[in-house]
Amino acid sequence: MLWGEAAPETVAPAPKRKTKARKAETWLYDAGAARLLQALGEVVDGLNIEADDTLPLTLWLPAFKGQALASSVFIADARPDLTAPQLSPFVVTALPLATVEAVELLAHCMQRTTLAAGLLVGNDLAYWANVLRWAGALTVRQQFMPGVQTAEGNYYARWQPLLTGNEAQRLTQLAQAMPHACRAAAIDDAAPDTAARTVLREALGVFLDQLIRDSTPSTSVKPSGKKAKASFDSLHDHWLHALRAEQATLEGTPAELQQLATQVRDWQRPLTATTATAFRLCFRLEEPEDESDGSALSSRRKATSSWYVRYLLQAMDEQSLLVPVAEAWQPKKPTAKVLQRGGFKPREYLLAALGQAASLHPSLEASLKTAAPAGYALDATGAHQFLTESAWLLEQAGYGVMLPAWWTRKGTKLSLTARARTTTPKFQGSGGLGLSEIVQFNWEMALGDEALTYAELEALAKLKAPLVKVRGLWVQLNADEIAAALDFWKKHPQGEATVRELVQMSLGAGEKAGGVKVSGVNADGWIADFLAQLNGNTAFTEQVVPDEFNGVLRPYQVRGYSWLAFLRQWGLGACLADDMGLGKTIQTLALIEQDWHAQSEKARRPVLLICPMSVVSNWQKEAARFTPDLPVLIHHGATRLKSAAFKRAAQPQAIVLSSYALLHRDQALFDQVAWSGVILDEAQNIKNAATKQSRAARALKSDYRIALTGTPVENNVGDLWSLMEFLNPGFLSTQAAFKRNFFVPIQAQGDQEATERLKRMTSPFILRRLKTDKTIISDLPDKLEMKVFCTLTKEQASLYEAVVKDLSATLDGGSEGIQRKGAVLAAMTKLKQVCNHPAQFLGDNSALPGRSGKLARLTEMLEEVMALDERALVFTQFSEMGELIRKHLQEAFGREVIFLHGGVAKKQRDRMVERFQEADAQSPRIFLLSLKAGGTGLNLTQANHVFHFDRWWNPAVENQATDRAFRIGQRRNVQVHKYLCAGTLEERIDEMIERKQSLAASIVGTGEGWLTELSNDALKDLFALRQEAVGE
Amino acid sequence: MPYWNDWGYFKPKPRIEKKGGIKSQSKRGNFGDTWWGKRWIAVLESFNLGARLTRGRSYARNGSVLAIDIASGEVKAKVQGSFPQPYKITIKLKALPDKDWRKLAESLSTQAIFAAKLLAGEMPQEIEEAFKAEGLALFPGKAGDLETDCSCPDWSNPCKHIAAVYYLLGEEFDRDPFLLFKLRGMERDKFIQLLGAATPTAKDEAAELLPPEPLNAEAVIYWQGALLPPDWLGEARTPPVAAAVLQRLGNFPFWRGNETVSDALRGAYMNASARGLEVLAGSEQ
Repeated sequence: MLWGEAAPETVAPAPKRKTKARKAETWLYDAGAARLLQALGEVVDGLNIEADDTLPLTLWLPAFKGQALASSVFIADARPDLTAPQLSPFVVTALPLATVEAVELLAHCMQRTTLAAGLLVGNDLAYWANVLRWAGALTVRQQFMPGVQTAEGNYYARWQPLLTGNEAQRLTQLAQAMPHACRAAAIDDAAPDTAARTVLREALGVFLDQLIRDSTPSTSVKPSGKKAKASFDSLHDHWLHALRAEQATLEGTPAELQQLATQVRDWQRPLTATTATAFRLCFRLEEPEDESDGSALSSRRKATSSWYVRYLLQAMDEQSLLVPVAEAWQPKKPTAKVLQRGGFKPREYLLAALGQAASLHPSLEASLKTAAPAGYALDATGAHQFLTESAWLLEQAGYGVMLPAWWTRKGTKLSLTARARTTTPKFQGSGGLGLSEIVQFNWEMALGDEALTYAELEALAKLKAPLVKVRGLWVQLNADEIAAALDFWKKHPQGEATVRELVQMSLGAGEKAGGVKVSGVNADGWIADFLAQLNGNTAFTEQVVPDEFNGVLRPYQVRGYSWLAFLRQWGLGACLADDMGLGKTIQTLALIEQDWHAQSEKARRPVLLICPMSVVSNWQKEAARFTPDLPVLIHHGATRLKSAAFKRAAQPQAIVLSSYALLHRDQALFDQVAWSGVILDEAQNIKNAATKQSRAARALKSDYRIALTGTPVENNVGDLWSLMEFLNPGFLSTQAAFKRNFFVPIQAQGDQEATERLKRMTSPFILRRLKTDKTIISDLPDKLEMKVFCTLTKEQASLYEAVVKDLSATLDGGSEGIQRKGAVLAAMTKLKQVCNHPAQFLGDNSALPGRSGKLARLTEMLEEVMALDERALVFTQFSEMGELIRKHLQEAFGREVIFLHGGVAKKQRDRMVERFQEADAQSPRIFLLSLKAGGTGLNLTQANHVFHFDRWWNPAVENQATDRAFRIGQRRNVQVHKYLCAGTLEERIDEMIERKQSLAASIVGTGEGWLTELSNDALKDLFALRQEAVGE
Repeated sequence: MPYWNDWGYFKPKPRIEKKGGIKSQSKRGNFGDTWWGKRWIAVLESFNLGARLTRGRSYARNGSVLAIDIASGEVKAKVQGSFPQPYKITIKLKALPDKDWRKLAESLSTQAIFAAKLLAGEMPQEIEEAFKAEGLALFPGKAGDLETDCSCPDWSNPCKHIAAVYYLLGEEFDRDPFLLFKLRGMERDKFIQLLGAATPTAKDEAAELLPPEPLNAEAVIYWQGALLPPDWLGEARTPPVAAAVLQRLGNFPFWRGNETVSDALRGAYMNASARGLEVLAGSEQ
């Protein structure tokens, strides 16, 4: 059995963690049975595997002079000093998996780098997951055949991949990409050296066979009794059964099994045998020469020239070298020379190739009745059949196929569509207009952009040709479809729909009309204006920022705010997905401000703003800064209002701020209020439509809905439905229909057309601008500094209060001089540690996730940085915190995070800087630095984000650190994020410095010592924890 | 058989059940898928064999024919009848002399279709005309062209056993028309050569033993491998023609199963596409 050997090889290296060496020959980093099982249990449910099942497995692994070299820096630091590693056998703990289990595990590993926190997918495991994807693709393409496999004298009925044409190229490509670790398992005592291609083929075959068996309902012909063979009339029956049964083993005498294997191989030979010739036969479909006026609609259409399939020889090593077959039968000098490469014999090859092609595509047979066939002519029906079927068959069989660009270019195929034409009276544009307005319209049919008359459509139906040229463009037609469209048109020349439905139609998201896809709306009047604005064809009016708004929007922010206002006016949901740092918050606040003042005092209703706990304080601070006149209610924590009290308190507010955690828990409370708007910040929190918070979000009643996110939503097709269903319910149809029409075609099939269609349907509702956009970059300063207000967790708050209490006691005890100073400085350090992370304060090596508001926020923001493929510097003044951050981020992202602190040697430091600055896909994205070690001298211009995780209260020092990225050589804008815990000493010291900017240089510049000069009361006030600081 | 019974020499015996014999892949209706297979059967059916023909057909379908061996000018076969010992059958058809074949090949060389189709395992329809033009015949014309013999006690010739073998030969010719040429004294490769073509020298990579590739301990090569381009997998579309591979594989040589390969396995192809999509779409939704 293959997998007895190979599965452990793939599984074992994945969850390796550092452990102590037990025996000399044991791999230093072996994960051991318990962790292996635990890891597997976290990933795959319901595997019936126990610790006893693990086996010692000998792998050939790299080491240098007895020092093992780990697979990645997550396991152990890189050892660049060990320059010439050697392979030698080591023992690891392995878990043998049955094929079905291995397939399940790999399915979970596909396109992922982490499986759970701290559980990373090794490169070799990721490789096998790619092989499984390939097996999946081959299964979809039906590129496989029934076969017989022999191994160690046993015979198995197996489904085998058919690797011809493009698949053969994939085999080569994938074999070259295989990490050598995939072949590390020792056979006997010798170093493993099986060719990558062989190992790949074998694994691919096993996966493929498993997938097909999975999908095939076991045959009804069940063998009676245990001895399977006895109950079959022949070995052939046995073989057919074993291809569809769980048990693939074939039983019989060696002679008859051998005979079967030979028969099967002979039978497969025409398909499997590849002729390694220097040229291959290639078919090029050529369009008819241009007709007089190029229109099928004209009655003067004459049957002039026809379509043509030309035979060509294509050089395998130079695909652009094409020789018409016409010249190849008896090649003249220059051609003969070209065709000589690789001992190619054109005549012999062509006869065999054309013969085989004729059996796939019988239409070309007639062309062979001459001594030197060159191609053949065909009519529109033939051309259509060639495009839709034969081209595929020929390509699968390994021939070259060249089709006209208009056919292969994605998303541009023209076809018959229906459109709604409305004439609406000019209407004044604001107020009173709604999406539920009912509009009359006339149906019209169109080919591409061309509207057709009824008579023209009838004329098309009479042509009965599947491909016709209309005004210079080829259009695919289906006779049944035209008939249905004619019938529909006759019966329903007119229709009526709401404006909302018209919007859907205009985006191509509407229901079909008479079996024909609805492609758009042809309108005039205000509907036309509205649709043009919505589709971005005409710019919408820029709105004036209300006077009450306490801030200045940059030009692109005015556009974003106006866009939000435009969609809000129509009650359409909007997703503002600007890059991090472009000011989604401020644009949103401007909208809320405008909306608030646009309504009479009596009609005012609050907006519900939901965000992650970690940014509640940030919103609060930003609202206080930019919209100080708006009443804000923070709804979180244990003391939050309940039932009627909540309703009463919420009613007069402009903004009610709460968190995702409460969205579901307090759903009943939120339901009591008729919200003006619902805004979701970090809207990726509802990407999974089935979660309780997503459902709760969709259930909220409000006039408008806005989602904010900095992650590129449009890249995650699977998440888009949930988001759109929140914003504009029903636009993307049901989830099942979405999965069928978009998710599977895009995600699984790589369908460009579906991608385009989805983009068209969603783009009016998603505004995403990048820092790098030309129009944005000119509006942005080169350096953008932002304060990030974080929230304390309950644990942090109680630790914080304990420290403050201690200090108060000391101060009240009347300590003075050095003693007092020492106590104040110590307390300050402790408080900063608490704000960073309880684990730093306690120094107890305890778990990290979920205990620090700062760390949560840092993780969220860095996730966006990584999604944009950008790089960041993270500064902290505590090297023990740096170590914690590094561990946490590596486990969360499954990517290397480098950390420069005082203990790093110069040589190593230079190497870190060098690696970070490399424009390589593998190089680290996050560079963690201790303020002291990394604050000066380095040039780290690959980073365009700088995070100050904690503060040194010395602008000069911080700026110096920031300048590691913001310096000559930096071509992008740099964003500086300064972290503060709201309501704590961090915020208050920051305020003091801001207030005393002029003093800062002289007083503050010297460090934190000046704080100790404050009076006891001032100190107590400075340190006291404000209520707003605490999350849950 | 009736008169044997009338004479009372022995009691009618049922045919001995023999499993796993060669079974016709056509379960009902006519034998022969291709024009040449049909043409071969037509010769037999022109002999007015009456009931023996029907019996022969059912023998061909139920696996009574145990073995068939085709050689130049002669076919040998074994058929299970009512005797424990299978009957031995020979069918002889005159082989054509070499010079006739050469003459023929010359005239066939003027059109690419002959060589092309023969190489692809098909007999071009025009070939019979070509034979006729050279004064030759590919198929036996009258009963006398065939010399048949069977070890069964039936005196009539051809008997049902011969008919059964004859039917199955039709199917084998369907699959490989060169068997018909072989019977007429011409080997496949030789004839292809006469036509100025060549059987492509093909290799079956799956069966090949590749040279060893020792591992490299360098960290990137060992642990990471090379990066794949983002579009390496290509589009995974469900094919426009279902189970095309089975169609391309064609009939299985000397099939003995109860179900035909394509009947049995077409479903597996249909279901596979859906399963593949499931894998590619991931477990997310």
